[in-house]
Amino acid sequence: MVFDSLIKRYSYTIIGNDFTTAGKSSSDIKSNLKAIGIDAKIIRKIAIISYEAEINIIIHSLGGQLHCDLYEDKIVITSEDIGPGIPDIEMAMTEGFSTASDNVRELGFGAGMGLPNMKRYSDDFEISSSSKGTIIIITVLI
Amino acid sequence: MNFSIMFDKEKCKGCTNCMKRCPTQAIRLKESKAFIDGTKCIHCGECIKICPHEAYSAQSVESHKEKNYKYKIAIPSTTIYGQFPKGTEICKVQNAILKLGFDYVYDESWASELVSKAIKKRIEENKNIRPFISTNCPSTVRLIKIRYPSLMEHLISLEAPMEIAAKVARQRAKQLFDLEDKDIGVFYISPCPAKLLAVTDPIGPNKSNINWVVPLNTIYGDLYREVKKENNLCYSNPSLKGIKWAVSGGQSESAELINYIAVNGMENIIDIFDEIENGKLSDVDFVETLACVGGCVGGTFNIENPFIASNTLKYIIYNTNEDTLLNDDLDKFDELYNEGIFDLTITEDKDQKDKLSIKDAVKRFEKIKEIVALLPGLDCGSCGAPTCFAHAEDIYENEAKLYDCVVLRAKSKEN
Repeated sequence: MVFDSLIKRYSYTIIGNDFTTAGKSSSDIKSNLKAIGIDAKIIRKIAIISYEAEINIIIHSLGGQLHCDLYEDKIVITSEDIGPGIPDIEMAMTEGFSTASDNVRELGFGAGMGLPNMKRYSDDFEISSSSKGTIIIITVLI
Repeated sequence: MNFSIMFDKEKCKGCTNCMKRCPTQAIRLKESKAFIDGTKCIHCGECIKICPHEAYSAQSVESHKEKNYKYKIAIPSTTIYGQFPKGTEICKVQNAILKLGFDYVYDESWASELVSKAIKKRIEENKNIRPFISTNCPSTVRLIKIRYPSLMEHLISLEAPMEIAAKVARQRAKQLFDLEDKDIGVFYISPCPAKLLAVTDPIGPNKSNINWVVPLNTIYGDLYREVKKENNLCYSNPSLKGIKWAVSGGQSESAELINYIAVNGMENIIDIFDEIENGKLSDVDFVETLACVGGCVGGTFNIENPFIASNTLKYIIYNTNEDTLLNDDLDKFDELYNEGIFDLTITEDKDQKDKLSIKDAVKRFEKIKEIVALLPGLDCGSCGAPTCFAHAEDIYENEAKLYDCVVLRAKSKEN
């Protein structure tokens, strides 16, 4: 049996600095996975990961794409954005470290838990960043 | 299936109010009559409250007078004290309940105060689960089981006060009067149908210690007359900390918590559960959830308007002398806690459907989305399903037809 083939991709376009619809894409991913009947514990992980990824794109970039790829044995969330990138990834992975502006923090975002949380709930976490943007690929095994 | 909500088909006019209100989408209309799917029902009583034609009612239980037990114990809900006019001598309420044909009254509020202590202790002892979610309201526990199974581990593993009251009162009666379990009948005087279900179909594996549930409104008339009688004597007051439980936020207040959220009303609870599922609120100690607006005072078996009842309860809390309290179980809290009488095991509902492979499940979902695209997206409910998506699911499962949709029917006539 080939387990590596992609069954379905759900894609979302996310606009930078648009807080009015923040959380909509990740909530759609969550309701799709619920409708498909994915195990609740897995959905919980994906919900947290995709929510944080979505908020990160909104706060820190000009905009980007969020993909949710379904396989028989895993779910992969990919976040791609266009923006300034992350100058120091190691620093960005530290709990509580944040470059979010005061305006963003006043909205209740930017606590510096985004990337650490995404990593905590993943089985595999890959991140690469340049001055053009950031790509994060997160795998959760089913 | 034990069922506590009764439905009168004759009275149903097919108006869709209940179907649109139901938080778990358990209701469909078939041939213009409502139909409840028992596997999805969480017994919150929203349909009873909203139905303009009184087609729904809570299951009528036989009168406690007809039950043959050697010893009958009544456990009145904390909401009972909010049902009488302000100024009623509430120390007479328990005596009046005795006169309705009971041998002993164990006030739920006494157990509520005990459980408040247990909540505080459990939260302090377990720092790795946040937030804890309350288990007092059977409807919200069932909502988690059906719609939010990933939150099961957040439920605080403590029995509800009515169950603790029943356990303690039953033990006491056995010791004092040398009785056996079968000789003792425990009757809970309930503010809502969900409590009735918690007895017939408990959330954990253990059998309930309560035998019968008496809807509060069915005895209120007799009770009120007894309370007002000249020769009625003061018996005991409720626990003033315990009766706070009748109102949303009261559990947390009584447990002396500071970092808590009290949510009431199904729609608000759903919003908060979504937040917790997204990994938020992990800095909050306790989320107190009560399905009815205002808390238990909003239950369908109460007499008084929930907001007026809350005001009355506050009046009682500030104007009652706690000296006239006939209960010393609070002194035994540590002993009871260590015995484990508060501990609740919550079992997961078994998934009845055969699980599809992810590939097939995605196929099914995509097919349903194709059907959704054909529907108008108004979620009007006229087809007999609460949303267009639910209708599409029903079509996929061969339980409904595309042209049950009135909008599509009207359009096809136009062409």
